[in-house]
Parts: sequence; C-alpha cells; structure tokens
Amino acid sequence: MTICKKADIILAILFLLLGGASLWLTHQLAAPGARVVIMVDGKEYGTYSLQENRAIEVIQPGEMRNVIRIENGSAFMDESTCKNQVCVHQGAISLSHQSIVCLPNKVLLEVIVKGGSDRSPDSVTY
Amino acid sequence: MNPSTAPHTSRAASLAAGAILTTLSLIFSYVEALFPLSLAVPGIKLGLANIVVVLALYTAGKRTAFLVNLLRILLAGLLFGNAFSILYSLAGGLLSFAAMCLLKRTGWFSILGISMAGGVFHNLGQLTVAALAVSSFGLFYYFPVLLFAGMATGILIGIVAVLVLQKLPVLR
Repeated sequence: MTICKKADIILAILFLLLGGASLWLTHQLAAPGARVVIMVDGKEYGTYSLQENRAIEVIQPGEMRNVIRIENGSAFMDESTCKNQVCVHQGAISLSHQSIVCLPNKVLLEVIVKGGSDRSPDSVTY
Repeated sequence: MNPSTAPHTSRAASLAAGAILTTLSLIFSYVEALFPLSLAVPGIKLGLANIVVVLALYTAGKRTAFLVNLLRILLAGLLFGNAFSILYSLAGGLLSFAAMCLLKRTGWFSILGISMAGGVFHNLGQLTVAALAVSSFGLFYYFPVLLFAGMATGILIGIVAVLVLQKLPVLR
C-alpha cells in the first residue's frame, strides 16, 4: 500500500481551493460592524451598538449566566458558566458576520452592519 | 444480529476485537477530555479517538468500525459530556464515517486521504449542528478555518494510522 495516492492529492487540492474560496468570500463580505445581536436559545435577546462600552448580563434558568462586554468597537464573552469556556477563549469580534457561540448555554453573538452608517453589501456596487 | 455477515470470523473473535477497539477509543476520548489541546481556534481538537475508528475501518471491517464509533460517542458522551455533546459528536462522527466509507469504497484513496476527508466532514457535521442549535447560519463564517483544521488533524490521524497498521496484525 502506498503512503499517498494521486486521488489523495487531488482531494487535498479540492479542499484547499474550497477553503480558499470561502475564506476569500468571507473577507469580501466582511466590513466593520456597527452593532452586535445577542441571541439566546434561538430568540433575539437584544441588539447593542459597538460604539458604546458596556457589559450585558444574560441570565437563564438552570444557573446559566453569560456576561458579554463591548469595548472599543468589539464584543467578547467575558464570563460564562459553561464548562468548556470555548466562548470566553474565542476573543473579541468586530467585523460583520463574525460570531461567538456558547453552545452549552445557547448564547450567540453576531456582528451586523445594519442600522449603522457602514457599507452594506448592497451599497458596494461601484 | 446476523451470524453470517462475517464469513471467516467467529462471532466471539469479532466481538472481542470490537470490545478492545471500543475500549481503546474510549481511553483516547478520556485522555482528550483530560488534556483539551487548545489550538489557535477554539473548539478544535485533535480527535484522538478517530485513530481507532480509522484503524477499525481498515482492520475489522465497516460494521465493527461503525459500532465502535457509535458506542464510543454514546459512552464518552454519557461519561464526560451531556445529551447535547452526544448530539454534537454524533453529527460529526456519523457524517465523517459515511464520508470515509464512501471514499474507501472507491478504492482511489489511501488512508491519509480518507482520514483527511474524515476530519473535514467531522467538522462540517459539527458546524451544521452548531448552526442549527443556535438557529444562525452566520456560523458558517468559520467554515474555512474548520475545513483547514479538519484537513490538518485528519492527515495527522492518518499518519498515525499508517504507522500503527504496519505493526498491527489484521483483526479480521
């Protein structure tokens, strides 16, 4: 059995092309965000401007607590009662479509451009 | 439970092989739960237990590999996770297994390629469940990162699998 076949390399190139294309696409769509939407269990919890520094506390039944902090135009998960703490380690987000998810507590932050003076996909046709 | 599925295997032998593989993958899951390897991007891990699934696919056959995979996910979920983490692992594990089986059937790929595809489809399955769980497709923003990470971990797992297979007697 050979270590690596031609089809392996073709598949790897396909994956790389797909990844590269989607990376390019997400960068094309990315713009500085204006607001952050907080969704809790699939329902909108609130929308907050990224320009105002503040902390938002989300408390859910079952001792689930998340603290989202907005500072200098970006948002991050400051505290979470979840076990894996993936959301806390994820860092800050500031560009449109970026998101932070706390799967155990079903809390989602997503940056949007809507409602601000930032360019939206419709207004970038030069 | 059809005794005639594995023609030249006694049921006891395949049962024992399956049990050993399941135990081994459970140990790997435990090791990974003990020392979560935090890479640059959150939520990405090596998937040590997948070494066993890949090995099972090559040494013990599709049916045993599937059972090992399923049992490992359920047991590891019950021991170290919760109902949601089981669902999350199932999506990744089953999609990855289906992809690996299909690719293996073509006969065009080596273990490296199959393991790589397994890693990619594992992440894709998990991303889909995550997106459904929070009802947002904005999560697909992370698709490229997860795709590259899946390739990298899949190839690493594949290399280990190749090395182990050179030493391991065929369980069939």
